[in-house]
Amino acid sequence: MRSTSKALSAAEKILASRERMIAQYPPLSGVKVEEEGGCGVTGFACSIPVGGKHIFEPSRQMHNRGNGKGGGIAAVGFVPEALGVSQEILDSHYMLQIALIDPEDQAAAKAVESEFIHPWLDIARSEKIPTVADYRDIPGLDVRPPDVMRYFVRVKKDVLKDFTVKNHFENLKPGRAEDEFMSQNAFKLNTRFYSTLGDKKAFVMSHGKNMMILKIVGYAELVASYYQLEEFKSHIWIAHQRYPTKGRVWHPGGAHPFSGMHEALVHNGDFANYHSVCEYLKQQNFFPLFHTDTEASVLMLDLLNRVHEYPLEYIIEALAPTTEADFDQLPSDKQKIYRAIQAAHIHGSPDGPWFFIIARNDPYQKMFQLIGITDTAMLRPQVFALQDGEVQIGLVCSEKQAIDATLDSLAKEDPRFCPVCDRYWNARGGSHTDGGTFVFTVKPENGVMRLSCSDKFGNVKAISGNQKICDATAPISVPSQEAEITRTLNQLLDQCRAEEMFSYLAENIPIWDYNTFRWVCAEIVRVAAGSDTCKATAIEVLTLLNDRRFFTGDKKRAWVLWIIRGSLREIFGAVPGFDRASGGRYRYIDFKTRNLLRAPEANEEILVVYTREFEPEGEDCDARLLCEAYFLGWKRFIVYGYRGQRFTGNGFGPATQAVRIDVYGSSGDYLASGIDGMAIYVHGNAQDQLGQIMKDGKLAVFGDVGQTFMYGAKGGEVYVMGNAAGRPLINAVGRPRVVINGTALDYLAESFMAGDPHNGGGFVILNGMTLSDDGSLKELPTPYPGSNLFSLASGGAIFARDPHCTLIEDQLNGGEFAEFTDADWNLILPYLKENERLFGISIEKDILCVNGRPRKPSEVYRKVKAVPLTVLNGAPKQPNPVMAADI
Amino acid sequence: MKAEIKRTASRFRHTIGKYRVQRGKQCKSCAGCVVTCPHGVHFKAGTRMGTPRDYLCVGPEVCRSKNCFCVEKCPNSALNVVINPQIKALGDFRWTADLLMSTWYQAETGRLPDVDMEYRTGNSGGGFDKLRFRFPEKPPQVIPAEDIDTSIELNKRGDKSHRITIGIPLYQGGMSFGSVSDSTMVSRARAAMLWDTFGCTGEGGYPEFLYPFDRQMITQVATGLFGVKEETIQRVRIVEFKYAQGAKPGLGGHLLGDKVTERVAKMREAVQGSALFSPFPFHSVYSVEDHKKHVDWIKAINPKVLVSVKVSTPADVDMVAIGSYYAGAHIVHLDGSYGGTGAAPDIAKKNIAMPIEYAIPKVHRFLVEEGVRDKVTLIASGGIRTAHDVLKAIALGADGVVEGTAGMVALECTRCSSCESGRGCPRGIATTDPELAEFITVDWGAQRVYNLYASWRSQIVGVLQQLGMRSIRELVGRTDCLRHLDYN
Repeated sequence: MRSTSKALSAAEKILASRERMIAQYPPLSGVKVEEEGGCGVTGFACSIPVGGKHIFEPSRQMHNRGNGKGGGIAAVGFVPEALGVSQEILDSHYMLQIALIDPEDQAAAKAVESEFIHPWLDIARSEKIPTVADYRDIPGLDVRPPDVMRYFVRVKKDVLKDFTVKNHFENLKPGRAEDEFMSQNAFKLNTRFYSTLGDKKAFVMSHGKNMMILKIVGYAELVASYYQLEEFKSHIWIAHQRYPTKGRVWHPGGAHPFSGMHEALVHNGDFANYHSVCEYLKQQNFFPLFHTDTEASVLMLDLLNRVHEYPLEYIIEALAPTTEADFDQLPSDKQKIYRAIQAAHIHGSPDGPWFFIIARNDPYQKMFQLIGITDTAMLRPQVFALQDGEVQIGLVCSEKQAIDATLDSLAKEDPRFCPVCDRYWNARGGSHTDGGTFVFTVKPENGVMRLSCSDKFGNVKAISGNQKICDATAPISVPSQEAEITRTLNQLLDQCRAEEMFSYLAENIPIWDYNTFRWVCAEIVRVAAGSDTCKATAIEVLTLLNDRRFFTGDKKRAWVLWIIRGSLREIFGAVPGFDRASGGRYRYIDFKTRNLLRAPEANEEILVVYTREFEPEGEDCDARLLCEAYFLGWKRFIVYGYRGQRFTGNGFGPATQAVRIDVYGSSGDYLASGIDGMAIYVHGNAQDQLGQIMKDGKLAVFGDVGQTFMYGAKGGEVYVMGNAAGRPLINAVGRPRVVINGTALDYLAESFMAGDPHNGGGFVILNGMTLSDDGSLKELPTPYPGSNLFSLASGGAIFARDPHCTLIEDQLNGGEFAEFTDADWNLILPYLKENERLFGISIEKDILCVNGRPRKPSEVYRKVKAVPLTVLNGAPKQPNPVMAADI
Repeated sequence: MKAEIKRTASRFRHTIGKYRVQRGKQCKSCAGCVVTCPHGVHFKAGTRMGTPRDYLCVGPEVCRSKNCFCVEKCPNSALNVVINPQIKALGDFRWTADLLMSTWYQAETGRLPDVDMEYRTGNSGGGFDKLRFRFPEKPPQVIPAEDIDTSIELNKRGDKSHRITIGIPLYQGGMSFGSVSDSTMVSRARAAMLWDTFGCTGEGGYPEFLYPFDRQMITQVATGLFGVKEETIQRVRIVEFKYAQGAKPGLGGHLLGDKVTERVAKMREAVQGSALFSPFPFHSVYSVEDHKKHVDWIKAINPKVLVSVKVSTPADVDMVAIGSYYAGAHIVHLDGSYGGTGAAPDIAKKNIAMPIEYAIPKVHRFLVEEGVRDKVTLIASGGIRTAHDVLKAIALGADGVVEGTAGMVALECTRCSSCESGRGCPRGIATTDPELAEFITVDWGAQRVYNLYASWRSQIVGVLQQLGMRSIRELVGRTDCLRHLDYN
């Protein structure tokens, strides 16, 4: 401790004050075991306030990431009328929400008020948050949720004055002393009524301004049902499905979100150093009371944010430090600061897998923020998305289908929302590029609330252009060019010239308005119904439009995509089911009609599966239906309507060369895992664990792929149009041959063991390019930004397109650069040709063209091969191990 | 195939025994000793006396008391019996010379040795070696041996997956193709089949020579995913996720370069001569919902398969167990810290995981409190050396055990700890060298392991008789039947 109170900084004064509080309200000592659990998280921030029902569907879709034993939501940025207060009170007052675990226990409710509210706080308004009459009316709710009392409060003037004087808070910034009082009051209340009792009675759910948290024992969306939040509007919503491993749970104290001051945090993951983080917090007089790492996280955030007043960038650095090659690439002044932050806070930095979503109100800067932060090693799944326009929305989730579900739900209510986002991306944890963090900020701009997105370093993620949005509800009228378009379409359709038709459409889409384009798509759908050949061509054309990038003129690509996808769904939905007569090649099946499945008859070839209603896993999942159909003789599948269902293509067993599956929609984890011969085309982004243990066959992804792509794979030909997330091809062996046109987050091909590429072994072609919205290809600043490439690899090779030689030895950790020979070029050329055919990425115009000039392959590609490491070879010769052992 | 105990002698001319019988020059080959010795130590080879089979010798004390001590009966004083000096160099505190020799004896004969050897416990000063059974003075009821049931159920969830009962409360631990010889693998697999229990492929792939044993094999899905294919997952009735090994939690598996021969490299589709590492975590599993997804994945490939989750024993092993149960596992397999062959680093074997005798009751009680104990099969492994270890593990709360090293010892492993040193297992067990592997024939190996299990089963039956129990299932969690030498 410093000598005099005058010399103390604001932070030190607050910490000293907390020390006195701890003495007064000692928390239980002794080591408590952390309550473990996994989970799913989702959240969105919107430029307009929207109802709680829109968090309902995304939460429901992540049931398989929770187990219904803990769910919670938080919301930030309300409409004052809905809460029965004025804007002034909403902005200035703390929204103190206290959970009364046993609603029948009136004595506890009274005691809470008389001890912690009436003596200290002025109440502007209080109410019991309305609920449905009987929790048993809500299916799935087995434990009565707590009654929650909401108080709009300020600290009484004289109380605050006393508190300020006693703690020497006179020089604190305005409002900070009151914040600290509220924080301490909540701590005392929780200590008194929650953590030191055998019988837990009450706890503070949240107490920030213009924000709230509600949580229950049950799935998260039931919070919205029980507390009647369907129409309750807010700018930011986050939800958390908990998966506590302990069996019996009777109160939601341990559920997420947890609250610091004006923020709510949900967390997916599990710290390896929970105790060390807790110890660190305790040294700073922040005592966790709920035994979860999530509470520790939000306390850490509160400590760094409110007490130390770190800017967000430094807070993130303290949580997810920048390391290895990424650190080296920071500017030197930043390195200096970061080194100091790491030195001071590394012991409190959560280690292990974690992903945070934070919703916060910053009453001092008058803005709401939704923040997603991933750990340095990126061990948890995460997807970000952004939509710009008249209304703007930023989303962050564990799985992409939660984003789709949110947008679907919003679009149904407000046609200004497009069900497809402008951008989807992953953050790169602890990196020099984005810092593993994206922040969506909602704040007033010229009198209206607008949303912006930036990364850890404040770089803005912008959506280019002022393209128009589409009113999908407007009726379609016949365009003036009808005759000409019809003639061309009919001609191309009749002759099954899909590629030409695609070129024709791609050329004209920039010129056409939304109405014309919608009319054209409707025409294609109409013609597709005519014959199987027309249908096949129509599907092929629309699929090309969906998969390829092209210039869309003044129309937003997201809306164009939505129209294309809608047309595909119409065509698929019109295919006759097994309950209808048909002599054609196509048959339709969905969840309701799944029991009608039979072997293919007559001309039947293609099974169209609408997956929407199927379970994501287990006996009633669509992946099982595909297997059954295959065993009955079906070989060709079109599968659409996905909402994250898993295991597509799994379970078919060996030698499936004749099988082809086309996947549309938000397909799920483990797609193509273990496939042996079949071909799967994913017409969109794919999720995590794709192609795990894949043995043989072909996988093409017209978008990005998620975490641990092709882990332990043994072979196969794989093409990815965009990026791979963390740890692609880790532990892969045999002969996998993979083209990634974008890049990977980190740990590409760690422990790669795929033999000699020139002798039947495997390799990865990493092109390091990105497709822009107009369809042109751009080089990324580096083909590989991560610090670990080909670590501990013992076989195989990486061919990285790196004409500017940005890759450095430091990134390799076990590999080495080798000369790129003609033999190498001949080896990879066939794969680049197929890559060109699939994605339209030209070898001549894109790959071998640098700054507009043609180059030789050896000037463009660099080869990374394995080096024999002594650690990987035989056992070091040691003295007789018998003598060494068992002394 | 009808299985029965068949005497299956050592492969080596000089079997290591507790005693050494020396024959002096005074011997006149009168063959009197052949008559005197009831244990078959002495025999005549042609006109001369053969070198005594001294490993069969039960020692002077027993013989004296039964008046059949050859040394005293020899008319020419040509014989002498001493403690075999070799045994001083044999074994260690956990696997004492007595345990090794008695296991060899059981593998040879299918019964306990007559020799005064400690066959139940080692000399480690802790763990199972400090536990003893507390028998009632008189069994509460007399139960004939043939009425005693030693079988256990492996699917207690009662779901649509396979219903599997194994005849003895143990199955085999995974030993990978590449870490032990083919004949070792097949010998063990055949013995497992004869006892209606399960063998395990380990994580090194599913070699074709194990296909005949499909119905009785467990295949492992471990962090390296070596050799794991849909086809291999569909072959079996039980799949085991190896999350960690108790002998070396947090270290992953490793197969050093010397052992990665052409065949091993082919099976694992890797590079010959380069060491193979399994990462310490599953890179696709960093939390319990990932774990559930992982289990769902295996069930998507083989819907009727039983899923076993093998975990080491960290301090929160109870949470891991309950999490596995809720994720859909049928079997929770706790691998405690005593196990591990010579390939596991000593520092890890001795320092990291929780001893199994602490982990079993911790998990058992937690599952009981959570009300799901009867829905999950709890299996323990990690240093199960003897029939008494099996019984103690069960009395502490396990349903059954997994055996690893004991089966190796049945094949005459001496625990020399050279397993990791490449192909050079001096006894041809943990080797991939084709010449060394010829030391073992499958018929010999299978019968040895079969015999050992037979002896263990009869000991288990004997103990249950003394406790008055009709089924091994009655013993689960009966810690009242145990006492600890330090705390009673």
